[in-house]
Amino acid sequence: MQIDDQLLTRLETLSMIRIDERKREEIIEELSEFLNFADNLKELDTSGVDDKFAMDDAPTSLREDIPSCNTEISESILKNAPQSDEDFFIVPKIIE
Amino acid sequence: MFETIIGLEVHVQLNTKTKLFCSCPTSFNHRQNTNTCPTCLALPGALPVLNEEVLHKSIQFGTAIEATINQVSYFDRKSYFYPDSPSAYQITQLYTPVVEHGKLRIDLEDGSHKIVRINRAHIEADAGKSIHDGEISKVDLNRAGTPLLEIVSEPDMRNAEEAVQYLKKLHSIVRYIDISDANMQEGSFRVDVNVSIRPKGDEKLYTRVEIKNINSFRFIQKAIEVEVSRQIEAWEDGTYDEEIIQETRLYDANRNETRSMRGKEEAADYRYFPEPDLKKAVITNEMLKTYSQIPELPDQKAKRFVEEFGINEYNASVITSTKETAKFFEDMMEEGISAKNAVTWLTVELPARFSGGMDITTSPVDAKKLATLVKRIEDKTISGKAAKEVLDYIMQNDEDIDTVIEKLGLKQVSDTGAIEAMVDEILSKNQDKVEEYKNGKEKLFGFFVGQVMKASKGSANPQAVNEILKQKLS
Repeated sequence: MQIDDQLLTRLETLSMIRIDERKREEIIEELSEFLNFADNLKELDTSGVDDKFAMDDAPTSLREDIPSCNTEISESILKNAPQSDEDFFIVPKIIE
Repeated sequence: MFETIIGLEVHVQLNTKTKLFCSCPTSFNHRQNTNTCPTCLALPGALPVLNEEVLHKSIQFGTAIEATINQVSYFDRKSYFYPDSPSAYQITQLYTPVVEHGKLRIDLEDGSHKIVRINRAHIEADAGKSIHDGEISKVDLNRAGTPLLEIVSEPDMRNAEEAVQYLKKLHSIVRYIDISDANMQEGSFRVDVNVSIRPKGDEKLYTRVEIKNINSFRFIQKAIEVEVSRQIEAWEDGTYDEEIIQETRLYDANRNETRSMRGKEEAADYRYFPEPDLKKAVITNEMLKTYSQIPELPDQKAKRFVEEFGINEYNASVITSTKETAKFFEDMMEEGISAKNAVTWLTVELPARFSGGMDITTSPVDAKKLATLVKRIEDKTISGKAAKEVLDYIMQNDEDIDTVIEKLGLKQVSDTGAIEAMVDEILSKNQDKVEEYKNGKEKLFGFFVGQVMKASKGSANPQAVNEILKQKLS
């Protein structure tokens, strides 16, 4: 798969980030490299493998429905947020 | 002639004590961002652990709609970027949901029934909430990671009434089995409607439009009606292909119209893939057996009421539409009164006196009291008319029924001796009319009854008055 300028623009929209004009070419090159690397996986013949295959076939573990909450953690997370006010995380206006 | 095709997706917030993948409480109305932890805030390294109670409630729901319960189901990751989802993805079940192929019987106004198929119900995590405030948005992540069951119907409904009846039955069932508070205003029962039209007789499905997050049954009905008219108009104007596109629209209740939410659509590319942080969810045989225990469902209860108490099917479906009303009725029947009277006083007289958002759960008159009142009519202590006065009074004043009857002087005189004395007095005062009556002017009988009732100030048992009068005048 080839990354081109059009696809990069689409990725910008999807991830809501803006890429600097001067960096576009470099990023296109880097992303293409990632994809080429991932393409190595195609060498494997997986036609006989179930699509639900997992390395570990054990079921996921379950948790009892008992609440516990450490507000110290949530407080310190809020403190480390780039911007917060009255215990809300503040983000740029979300356009509906 | 056109036919309407409706499919419904309902997000039911499960009433577990903790979130889907972490132990944070799910309580409503806590201070913002207090019920959070590294898992639901998606901090690096934190891993999800599935809440067993979510599987329990999903199995109960699957049992209630006679569905297939997949003892092995999988989680998938749906990528989307929005500030109310800290992980930038939602964990859901796209490929193998926990519940599939169910059905729901809906009751239509003309007394008929219809089966609506349910395609699937899958488990997923809710997002947080954002409040828009000028140039910024405030994000509260207390709700992030709350368990949802998304219930997806087949496109089996053909008009707004069927859609609303489906939703009412679904709402009733999730509350009966107590898997959700299902409060539409608080967002624990969220409805998305998919609507399309086609010429009658056509088998093909045309473009469907999704209407999101409508928060009352009445608005759902109106939103469907107004959207269907929009589509039919476009068809008739020859602009269907340009105007009706597959998109998400919002219903504006003030203007009674649906509006496009363009913009969000274009970015939608969810890049689903199997959730790498969770292994398969397995329901053991033992879990399946234990967790498929559910209480009596509305339809079963209605059937039992018809058989056990001899009430008609319509009344039975009204009474069982909410579990609270059904319980009220059953509590009334415990007092040994007639079912017919219980139905009338529960479904007509009591609700007629509700005011200011009052309902059966907040009624100042409880089942035992209402039943006692009915009992007083049945044992002829008071007349039906007097009982209405008593009910008016006890809606305002928390007092004992018998005390109120005494206090308001509504006790009916059934003592034949007392009535006879009154009858004798009236007859002797009206000798001339007695003569006329005996000479064939039979309508005077009503006059005598009226006089006796008046003399007793309305407290005489009319039936006894009738009998005694007949006897004396013959």
